[in-house]
Amino acid sequence: MIRYLARRIGHAFLLLFGVSILLFLMFQAAPGDFLSEIRLNEQISPQTVAHLRAQYGLDQPMPVRYWKWLKSTAKGELGYSFAYNTPAAELLWPRARNTLLLSVPALLLSWLIAVPLGVLAAGWKGNWADRLFSGGTSVLLALPDVLIALLALLIALKTGRFPVGGMTSVSAQDQDNWARLRDLAWHMVLPVAALVIGSVAIILRHVRASVREVLESTYMRAAEGHGLSQRKILFGYALPAAANPLISLFGLSVAFLLSVSLLVEVVMSWPGMGPLLLEAILARDLFLVIGAVMFSTLFLIGGNLLADVLLYVFDPRIRRQA
Amino acid sequence: MTSGNPGFSKSEEFLRVSSLSMDYHAANGDVIHALHNVDLKIGAGESVGVLGESGSGKSSLAQTLLHLLPGNGQIVSGRVDYQGRNLAKLTAQQLRKIRGGEIALISQEPALALNPVLSLGRQLADVLKTHSNLSHDEVLLRCGKILRDVGFPDTERVMRAYPHELSGGQRQRVAIAQALICGPKLLIADEPLSALDTATQADILELLQNLKRELGLAMIFITHNAGMLSTLADEILVMRNGAVTAHGSLNELQDSADEYVQRVLFPEKNLLSAPHKTSTAAADEKSLLQVRNLSKRFVQRRMLSRKKFAVQSLEEVSFNLKKGSTVAVIGRSGSGKSTLARCIAGFEMPDSGKILLEGQQEYRQRDVQMIFQDAATSLNPRFTARQIIAEPMEIARWKTEVDRTARTLELMEEVGLDAAWALRLPVEFSGGQRQRLALARALAAEPKLLILDEAFSGFDLPLQAQMMRLLMELQSRHGLTYLYISHDLNFISLFAEEVIVMDAGRIVERTVPANLAHSAVPATCELVEASEKLHVPGVEATV
Repeated sequence: MIRYLARRIGHAFLLLFGVSILLFLMFQAAPGDFLSEIRLNEQISPQTVAHLRAQYGLDQPMPVRYWKWLKSTAKGELGYSFAYNTPAAELLWPRARNTLLLSVPALLLSWLIAVPLGVLAAGWKGNWADRLFSGGTSVLLALPDVLIALLALLIALKTGRFPVGGMTSVSAQDQDNWARLRDLAWHMVLPVAALVIGSVAIILRHVRASVREVLESTYMRAAEGHGLSQRKILFGYALPAAANPLISLFGLSVAFLLSVSLLVEVVMSWPGMGPLLLEAILARDLFLVIGAVMFSTLFLIGGNLLADVLLYVFDPRIRRQA
Repeated sequence: MTSGNPGFSKSEEFLRVSSLSMDYHAANGDVIHALHNVDLKIGAGESVGVLGESGSGKSSLAQTLLHLLPGNGQIVSGRVDYQGRNLAKLTAQQLRKIRGGEIALISQEPALALNPVLSLGRQLADVLKTHSNLSHDEVLLRCGKILRDVGFPDTERVMRAYPHELSGGQRQRVAIAQALICGPKLLIADEPLSALDTATQADILELLQNLKRELGLAMIFITHNAGMLSTLADEILVMRNGAVTAHGSLNELQDSADEYVQRVLFPEKNLLSAPHKTSTAAADEKSLLQVRNLSKRFVQRRMLSRKKFAVQSLEEVSFNLKKGSTVAVIGRSGSGKSTLARCIAGFEMPDSGKILLEGQQEYRQRDVQMIFQDAATSLNPRFTARQIIAEPMEIARWKTEVDRTARTLELMEEVGLDAAWALRLPVEFSGGQRQRLALARALAAEPKLLILDEAFSGFDLPLQAQMMRLLMELQSRHGLTYLYISHDLNFISLFAEEVIVMDAGRIVERTVPANLAHSAVPATCELVEASEKLHVPGVEATV
C-alpha cells in the first residue's frame, strides 16, 4: 500500500512539473504581457516601460524566469502578482479555500444522490420509471451550467429567500461565530445546488450503466439463483462489483466539478478562484494565472489519488496487482 | 421407460415439468424456440441426466426450472410444479425462498459464478443467512463444515480469500458449497465440470457422487458427456433442438437406433472414419521443429510481503517435431504447456534454450500459427469473416485484393463454413463456427506449424470430435504439422501419433498414445485415471 501510494505521489509531482513547464511555454506563445496596455499609454515614456519590464523580470529569457519561479515556489510564494504586488500564493490560498467550500460539498452531495438512485434505476430495467429517469437525466445533461447558475440567481431574486450571490452578508459580520456560520451556509445553498444539478446526471448515468452491466453477468445470475433478496443483490453484490469504473469516475468528477465551480463562482460572484483567474487572465498577470492553474491541477491530482486509494481498498484484484 | 424408478409413487414426485415450451426473442425480432414440449419428472433422491449437443436447450431448461431466464426469454406454454405448487404462480418472495433454499443451482462457469470483489466467506455466509435465522457464529460454523465437506482442509484461508486467489477447481468447490449449504432437496448442475481440467473434473465428479450418496438429494445433471452419467443418473433425457428426443437408462439408450443419440453417446465414432495416415508414410523423417533445453521462469510479487518468488514455468524442455505429424502435449493446468506454445509462437522470450524451425533460429513469425482456446476473444468483433481471414494475407502483401478474396472464400469452404457468410460478424457465428473461422485465418498465413492451444477444450465432445476430424482431413490434404496442447486425453489415440506429458514445467514422459494406459509415470497415471473416471473416449480407443 505504501509503495503504491509513494509511486502515485511521485507521478503526481512529475505531472505538476510538466503542467508548469507547459504553462510557461503557452504564456510565451501568447501575444502581449502585463505591460502591453501601459505601453499604449502615450504619457508613459518607453524608458519607464523598459524599467518596469526589468523590474518584473519580463526582459529575461524563459528558462531564467522559470528557474526564478521554481525558487519562489520552493519558498511557497508561487511567483509574484504584478497587479496586486504580493506573492501569488497569498492571494490564492483564501480563494482556493472558498472554491473547495463549494466543490467538496457539491461533490459529496452529487455522489450521495447519484449512487443509490443509479443502482435502483439499474434494477428497474425498462419500465416506466426507467424511461422517466432516462428522460429526466437527458434534460439535466442538456442544461448548460451557466444557465443553471443564472436560474439559481433568478430564483434567489424572485423568492427573496436566498442571498443573490456573494459569500457573506455585511450584517452577519459583527455577530457571533454561530450566526456567521449559518450565514455562510445560507449563501452556499444555491451555488452548491447549481453544481449538484449540473453534475448529478452524468454520475447517475454512469452508475446505472455500470451496475446494469454487472447485473447481466453470470455471478449475478448465480446470486439470484441462491435466492438473495433484491436489495442485497443490488447493493451488496452488484454495486461493489460495479464500483471499479465508478471510482475512477469519482476522481475525474473532482476535476469536472472544479471547472464548473469556477464558472458558477463568476456568475454568482462567489469569491473563489474563478473570478480571480478570470481577472488575472485578462490582465495577463502571469504568475497568478499559473498559480491558479497549478492549484486546480493539485485538486485534480488529489481527486485521482483519492480514487486510487479507494480503488485499492475496494477491489481485491487491484490490491494484488499493486 | 417413463419413470426410471418403478418404486416411487406420485406423492414422492416433487418436481414435475409438463409440456414446457420457452422462446427467446432476439434483438432483430427473430424468435428462437429454445424449449419445445419438454416433460420431466423427478422423485425424491432420484437423479436425472440431461444429455445433448451445445444449443440443444439443456441450459435453458436449467434456467427455466428456477425462473432465472434472461429478460428476452419467455415461457410460452406448459408449467413447472414443485411439490404440487406451480412455480409460475409464486410471488417473487416465495420463489426466492425456493431458490437456493430448496432447489440449488451449480452453474457452468465456476470462474464466473462468484462475485470477484467479495470474499468467499461472505458469499457463502450470505446464502445461509438468506435462508435461515442462525446467529453469526453458527453461520460461520456451518460455513466451515460445508467447506470441509467439499474438500478444503484450510477453511479459514478459503473464507478470507477472493475468487481470483483460487484455482478453477477450488472455485467450483466453493460454488458447490454455496449450493449445498442450505441443505437443498434438489440440485441442478449445469455442466459443472466443463470448464475444469481433467484431473479436477474427476475430483469434482467424485465429490458430487459422494454427496449424492450421503445426502440423498435429487439431482438434474446436465452434461454433454454420456460416460459421466453412467454412475450418476438413474434416467437420461437426450435433448435436441429444444425437445426431448429419447429417454431411458444408459443401457436402453445405447441400443437406440437413432443416429443423433448414437452421436452424443459415442462421439468418437465420428473420428474412426476420418482419413488416417499410416505411421510410416506420415512422418517424413525430417524434423520441422526442434526445441532445445528451453527454460522460462516468471517472477511473482505478493503484496504485504517483500518476497519475490520465481515460478518455474519451463525447465530444460527439449523435443523434436517431425514434418506432417501430430504431437500432443498434455498435462494439468499450470504444467507449462501453454508457456511452451507461447514461446514457440514467439509471444514469450525464453530465458534460455533454442527453438529451431527447419533448422533456423530466426524463423518467420507467420510460419507458426496458433489457435486459441476461446475463438470469441481471438477474433476482432468488428471485422467480417472475410476481413478476418484475409488479414494475414494482407499483412504478407500476398497477391492482389481479388486473389485474396477468392482465397478467403476457398478457405471458408475448406474449413466447412458457407462462403455466403463471408460478410457476417463473429457474433453471428456459433462457438464451433468461430473456431473454424480462426482455423481459416491461421491457414491463410500458410503456416508450417499449427499450434492448437486447448483449441477445443470449451467444446462438447461431439463438437470436439467434429473439429478433430476436420483437422485430420486438412492434414492429409496439405501435409500440415500440428502441436496439440490439451489438459485432457479426449480422442487422443485417434488424433495424435505421439504424446508428450508435462508436469511442473518438465517433460516427464514421451510415448505413443497406446502406451499411456500402462505408464508408470505418476503425472501420466493421474491423467489417465481421471479420463477413465469420466468415461471419455481417450486412451482406450484403438484405431
